[in-house]
Amino acid sequence: MTDSPFQAIIDEQAALRRVAVLVASDPDPQKVFECVCEEVGIVLGVEGTNLARFEADGTQTVLAGWSVNGTPIFPVGTGVPLEGSAAVAKVSRSGRPERVDDYSDLDGELVEMIRAAGIASSVAAPIKVAGRLWGAIVATTGTPNSYPDGTEQRLVSFTKLVAHALANADAREQLATSRARIVEAADAERRRIERNLHDGAQQRLVSLALILREAEAKLKKDPGDARLLLTGAREELTLAIDELRELARGIHPAILTDRGLRVAVEALARRAPMPVRLLDVPAVRLSQPVEEAAYYLVAEALTNAARHARADEVTVRVQQSDGQLAVEVADDGVGGGELRNGSGLCGLRDRFEALGGTLKVDSPQGDGTRVRGELPLLRGL
Amino acid sequence: MLLREGIVRLLEEAGFEVVAQAGDAEDLLRKAVAHRPDVAVVDVRMPPSQTDDGLRAALEIRRRMPDTAVLVLSQYVEEGYALELIAAGAERTGYLLKDRVADVDQFIDAVTRVGEGGSVLDPTVVATLLGRRRRDDPLDTLTDREREVLGLMAEGRSNQALAERLVVTERAVEKHVTSIFSKLGLHPAAEDHRRVLAVLTFLDSQ
Repeated sequence: MTDSPFQAIIDEQAALRRVAVLVASDPDPQKVFECVCEEVGIVLGVEGTNLARFEADGTQTVLAGWSVNGTPIFPVGTGVPLEGSAAVAKVSRSGRPERVDDYSDLDGELVEMIRAAGIASSVAAPIKVAGRLWGAIVATTGTPNSYPDGTEQRLVSFTKLVAHALANADAREQLATSRARIVEAADAERRRIERNLHDGAQQRLVSLALILREAEAKLKKDPGDARLLLTGAREELTLAIDELRELARGIHPAILTDRGLRVAVEALARRAPMPVRLLDVPAVRLSQPVEEAAYYLVAEALTNAARHARADEVTVRVQQSDGQLAVEVADDGVGGGELRNGSGLCGLRDRFEALGGTLKVDSPQGDGTRVRGELPLLRGL
Repeated sequence: MLLREGIVRLLEEAGFEVVAQAGDAEDLLRKAVAHRPDVAVVDVRMPPSQTDDGLRAALEIRRRMPDTAVLVLSQYVEEGYALELIAAGAERTGYLLKDRVADVDQFIDAVTRVGEGGSVLDPTVVATLLGRRRRDDPLDTLTDREREVLGLMAEGRSNQALAERLVVTERAVEKHVTSIFSKLGLHPAAEDHRRVLAVLTFLDSQ
């Protein structure tokens, strides 16, 4: 701990300046996260620090960590639980700074992980960005009861000052990962189409060529056999045509381009394996990216409702107002779904965010699933 | 282009006279007006925009020339298109998947039926509509046989054709039809094309 209040302020200012210089000079978000962890650790004189972002699915992502020995005490990673009486979990619920002076008597999955890392006490402060609880900074030590009163306040005042730098860095990183995911999704789709064409229609056409050759050879000597072969060839060709038709439909629904969202969503509703109620789907044409995003949201949500939610009925509502399009698909199924990385909905969220919109999934256990996307209506596209 | 020439050959072999061929929607309308054919066979996807110009042209032909039947061929199973077309009048109207052309007998039968004033709806479109889930589905009250009859009616088959297909008397078909209409709460329709429209409207309701 530092000697005088003045020294503390001088140290904090120096630390802030170092963060600011780094933010200005290095665009790598990870370095900003690590720098903030280190500066907080040094300013507070603790043994270790962590920076965590609270996720929509109720977990936390530990973005970075620092310790006096160099390596983070608590491991960096995603999908870390955020429950029980750990200081960071309390922050996620209260939005205020919290402390735990002794972890030895507490229970819970996160507490177990904290103890396993050799942490005995911790103080955590919320990081708020534009009024929203974004995450927390956690200071840790290996001995119980080692924080004087007022540690929370110092942590809070420091994090307030770096919150903006953190949020910017985080937004940059999320943008980069979502771009990477969009590219990866497009590549995966191309691989799927290539595989389907290769294994399906192409194989059938090759076998068709062989059958026709054989029929040609037998035409004079054994016309009866040749006729049988031709019948087989026609059947094979019908299958190839069916496969190509299905494949083309899967790549892009022509009716969406031709007739717009309403007619295309009606077609989805007809094909759904459960009753679908359509409310207020606008009949007007919108820009192509908006129509596509809305269409794929409905398609994906209907697929999920059928596959996972065991829903009896689904309601689709599309509303257009104030330059915005809101698409909502609600089912009466089992709920408990989530936005996992790599899922269809995650790819959709990337699509919505790339268009300046948002996508949220609300799926409480046993109480249905609601997927809601909002998009600005792009002009001039 | 390739397909068009193939279709012309098929039609001529089957004894139809092909009075004109058109390469785009505008050309089609112009030639339809000039020749007043009994039947126009139209691809949904046509130049200039290669989207649904053909369908729009077909609707225009039905509106301007009620005596000319249209048979629309589509690349995809799009009930939306089929319903739009039939809603504008089921008489002398047909919607078939393009692939059906490969089944020559079925294709020629469809051209003949629309030319005689009937309706033709592709079986896959009917299957999609029949498969649609509804709350408290009235279709659940139908027997398997009645569902079969309903599907054939939706395809635009007459009672006589139904009787032949199901190997029963026309009288038996009529009994099925009456029972279906009463179970679904529909008014019986005298003419086949009105019956198609009533059945499809019912099937497409939520």
